[in-house]
Amino acid sequence: MALAFEKLHWHSKLEVAEYLVPASLTEALDMLASHGGKARVIAGGTDVIPELRSRKLDVSVLVDVSRLPDMDGIEADGDDIVIGGGVTHAAAAASPLIQDKASALATGCGWVGSPQIRNVATLAGNLVSGQPAADASVPLLALDAEVTIASAKGERVVPLSEFFLGLGQTALDPGREILTSIRFQALADNQGSAYLRLAKRKALNLPILVCAVKATADGGNIASAAIALGPVAPVPFRERAAEEFVAGKPATMETLTQAGETATATCNPRDSLLRGSCDYRTEMVKVFVRRGLTAALAQAGCTVK
Amino acid sequence: MQDKTQEKTKTQVLTREENELARRLRTADKPLTVAGTSIGRRDDPLKVTGKLKYGADYSAEGFLFGKILRSPHAHALIKSINVKKAQELEGVAAVLTAEDLPGRNGFGAIIPDQPVICGDKVRFVGDGVALVAAETETIAHQALKLIEVEYEPLPGIFDPRDAMAEDAPKIHEGGNILSDDKMVKGDVDAGFAEADVILERTYQVPFLEHAYLEPDTTMAIPQPDGVMLIEGPMQAPFTTRRNVAPVLGVPINQVRVRQIHMGGGFGGKEDSPIDLSCRAAVLAQATGRPVKITLEREEVTIQTAKRHPMIMELKVGVKKDGTLTAFQGVIYDEQGAYASLGPKIPPAGGSHVHAMVMMPGPYEIPNVKVDAYLLYTNHPYGGAMRGFGAPQVHIAHEQMMDELAAELGITAVDIREKNAFRLGSQTATGQVLSQSVGLRETLESCADRFKWDERLAATGWVDQAHTKRRGVGVAMGWYRTSIGTNGDGCGAAVHLHEDGSVLLYSGITEMGQGAFTVLPQICAEELGIMPEDVRLVKPDTDLVPESGPTVGSRSTTLMGNAIILAARQVKESLMDTASMMLMVPTERLDAKGRKIYDRENPDKSLDFAAVAARAMAAGKRMIGQGWWTPPVPSLDGHTGQGSPYHVYTYSTHMVQVVVDVETGEVELEDYVAAFDVGKAINPKALEGQIEGGVAMGLGYALMEEVVLVEGVTQNPSLQGYLVPTMLDVPDIQPVILEVTNELGPYGAKGIGEMPNIPATPAIINAIAQASNGRVRRLPADPERIFWAIKEAGGPPQD
Amino acid sequence: MSTVELSFKLNGREVSLSVAPDTLLVDLLREGLGLTGTKAGCREGECGACTVLLDGTPMNSCLLPAVKAQGREVTTIEGLEKTDGSLEPLQEAFMGEGAAQCGFCTPAMILTATALLKNNPDPDEGEIRHALSGVICRCTGYRKIVQAVQTAAKARS
Repeated sequence: MALAFEKLHWHSKLEVAEYLVPASLTEALDMLASHGGKARVIAGGTDVIPELRSRKLDVSVLVDVSRLPDMDGIEADGDDIVIGGGVTHAAAAASPLIQDKASALATGCGWVGSPQIRNVATLAGNLVSGQPAADASVPLLALDAEVTIASAKGERVVPLSEFFLGLGQTALDPGREILTSIRFQALADNQGSAYLRLAKRKALNLPILVCAVKATADGGNIASAAIALGPVAPVPFRERAAEEFVAGKPATMETLTQAGETATATCNPRDSLLRGSCDYRTEMVKVFVRRGLTAALAQAGCTVK
Repeated sequence: MQDKTQEKTKTQVLTREENELARRLRTADKPLTVAGTSIGRRDDPLKVTGKLKYGADYSAEGFLFGKILRSPHAHALIKSINVKKAQELEGVAAVLTAEDLPGRNGFGAIIPDQPVICGDKVRFVGDGVALVAAETETIAHQALKLIEVEYEPLPGIFDPRDAMAEDAPKIHEGGNILSDDKMVKGDVDAGFAEADVILERTYQVPFLEHAYLEPDTTMAIPQPDGVMLIEGPMQAPFTTRRNVAPVLGVPINQVRVRQIHMGGGFGGKEDSPIDLSCRAAVLAQATGRPVKITLEREEVTIQTAKRHPMIMELKVGVKKDGTLTAFQGVIYDEQGAYASLGPKIPPAGGSHVHAMVMMPGPYEIPNVKVDAYLLYTNHPYGGAMRGFGAPQVHIAHEQMMDELAAELGITAVDIREKNAFRLGSQTATGQVLSQSVGLRETLESCADRFKWDERLAATGWVDQAHTKRRGVGVAMGWYRTSIGTNGDGCGAAVHLHEDGSVLLYSGITEMGQGAFTVLPQICAEELGIMPEDVRLVKPDTDLVPESGPTVGSRSTTLMGNAIILAARQVKESLMDTASMMLMVPTERLDAKGRKIYDRENPDKSLDFAAVAARAMAAGKRMIGQGWWTPPVPSLDGHTGQGSPYHVYTYSTHMVQVVVDVETGEVELEDYVAAFDVGKAINPKALEGQIEGGVAMGLGYALMEEVVLVEGVTQNPSLQGYLVPTMLDVPDIQPVILEVTNELGPYGAKGIGEMPNIPATPAIINAIAQASNGRVRRLPADPERIFWAIKEAGGPPQD
Repeated sequence: MSTVELSFKLNGREVSLSVAPDTLLVDLLREGLGLTGTKAGCREGECGACTVLLDGTPMNSCLLPAVKAQGREVTTIEGLEKTDGSLEPLQEAFMGEGAAQCGFCTPAMILTATALLKNNPDPDEGEIRHALSGVICRCTGYRKIVQAVQTAAKARS
């Protein structure tokens, strides 16, 4: 099979006919609607621009949502934290609220790309790109976040567990809808979270494996845990078998080690020439599930024996 | 430290030829005022303000955009090609295929085996099958897409060992073995019989991308008088000219090549500019208009030269006390689709021969046999990259030294101490090292600074959970200061003006290494003026003397000497004039700090400028020309015996790492790199070469690899091709030692490539020392380290 | 193709112009405005050579549609130029420490460090390395760049 022309001949420029900058969410949704799905939302642009340059993405109209009002908040709402659709990774990583009440997310946001990327790339964009190892998506999945999606027809709320549909595919229609906010429960005093990442270099990296854990302690026991992994499936992956395994068990190294073993039965990383083999990443799932649980429990005030 | 090393240079054993050259040069003992100091880089003010112009920064107003249609097949016959639709597209000025070419359809730094435009077949994914020049980039792209090519795919070769099979498809008419070289010293069988321990190991390294930050760009600008002007970032303007002229079918003097400051080269811009210049030139000739070709990052990776991958099989014998008795090696050196800088230029030029010569390492070994095969495959091609064959073989021999030491139960430093070259040692080619051999001094100083013994004793688990282990590693290295061909001459010109200012003409190029700073420094030193009194004329083949390429760590030494000789011709005019003005014999005169003075009575002095004015008025020679050729290299074509390179730079690196034995992740904690550089002409610039070279070696060790599947590059962008970031590189502490090179300017040796070479094996050795994980196939990414630890039965259990 | 009207502050001066809607900031600066101190090394945000400051924050201009500059302030390396010809402490320090080799990453390094020192006048080595980790340098091994930022921080305080 001959290699595609676009893989051998690269462009410096984009080819987009229109660039629209709506002043309100309503206007933005109308713009999208009026183009019948042929327009595309651009926020920070760090995913969209390279895809346009490499001609992977073929759209003629961009709708820039980065100036919509009231999208850049990071706020506590009762027991919840609500993050606006325009919040960047840099803002989330630096937020005391997130650092304190969702540290896994702060850590993940602090590892995305580079400082330059984090300064523009939004958490909403990270979710909408639908990549299995995205550094904001995986912790948000462990935090049981839900997202609000707006379209010309109205709003809907979708839990992240139903949001990711396939590689690069989500429940959001990028030609018609806008992700306006992200909501999840702040960590309680007996809860902790952790985010671990394995890569070949320490910045601007391509993750081999990422793991986010939210754990609830009950004295020396694990009341419950949420474990999210990537890339071990086409989408950010909730490791339910290991979660069920640890629930109600004592927080011992043996439990956590067995949780790691359990996890390898359900997740299925593919062989990747650039990220690593299935066998290796399966081994790493064991280590990361154990380490992730250990760190999250420690944050919850529970030392693993 | 420096006093000690000076002492050791007293006992050289120079050959007669070396003696004669050293006498001609006689700079080694000169007290220095300007050379040897860390003056700032001349072009720094332009760099920190963003005013320095790179190739892409020159306006392309009025230029046509040149584009290359690349083959999607690794190996295929071209059955037909139809360019009609492309030609008819508005805004297209030319569409060229092989049959449109006016001259030689081939280019190459050594052998012109790469078609400017492929006619009958393609040999790698990225081979050029047609060229387009159009008014805009977009139109050029559309035109490329409209070209219809019918291919008949052929079976490809993607492993160099497959290329040697008798029934292997022939990539080039002459067969797939481009070079088959041998080096034989003593009797390896007898050597193995003497050995107490014999180890056999295979080491493997991948294609590497230079990843210079500036993507390639070239401009071809037809001049009214018929001359073709080529401008672009490049390391080898003369090699470029030598290729463009026959491709255009014109004499060499009808091509003018001007170098533009490079945004990094590392050997890669020795031959990629030949490719782009030939292609831009034929488009410019066909259209009569200026043409600019700029590659996108991904295209740089796909199309241009790489570091050669090698498979290296070693068998080495050693006595119980660590003395090496025999070394046997086989190199399968993968050339890829085209010859580039791989093949031999007799006697010892080309990266392949260099790899062979360097393969046994900087050690005295009485019995050596190396078979080295350079093999065509249907991959991208190997060219020059910072070390020219040496980094690969160092990765093999330096790992083998550690593996032997471990087998013997002695330390990695002990085994090196036992065998390292010293003054008078005989290399594997039978060359007696006659002078400037500071290898052992680098080991000693490096171990001192690094505190090797203490750190070695302190290696072990970092945490109570036994997930992380600390370890240390060492590697040594050697590198030449010339290119091993008979044509390694280097010319310079010095023009003195009546106000004392000087123009320096040199063809050595600037890519960030600091040549444009160091060369005027040498000129000023010789004339007794200040560096700012010397303006360097940028490389332009119409203006500067043939200087050879800016490669092989040869610039400071070879060009430095040429400049000294050129400067002396005008200095003679100055001294004659000053002698008459001061009524002091010339032998008593000296020049420094813009004064010419009587050594016996320093108050008796004249301003340099005043003497220059008088010399000019008296019709004295104001133009100096220097030509330096290093000692004639030799290397027997059958036995690989001789003196291929006249002097070597030496180095020892030590590094401390922490390995996460559960994941294979590595953290570098500390790094010391010691070098015998002969003489540091500009210590700060030299430190920069060291720190940058080590960082590049770190990338080779841990993360860099051009991943190819059936000839297709899987990671053409910098998202997939990983180079070290600021968070990956530790603080690198350079140690500079000066063991005088009698044949270098003020004792200097080359340093551009050396730092890159031992860095990689030092890190790999430290990983193995820490974790038992010995990674013999690079890069040692976390996965490879993880499996290597598993293969070794786990980390050390103490 | 339609064009978009665009006004923003560039290196302290207001500029108004029309651009094609798909123009990237890096190309507007380099080709449209002749400010070639901003470099294009990879065009996908992986090398950082195209870094400019947008309202004082480092961003990759190769990933920014020019339209995003509307009403904001863009600073390029040319924006550090002073009328008296003197250089910023960071520029002096990069020269003094030998922190530039080929120089291709230098404008981006200096701009990124400028933003760092503005927010954190006395950063430690780790903070410097993190802040500058989005710019790749293939020449220096980074040590002299870190030293230059440290030197400039001292010179400013």
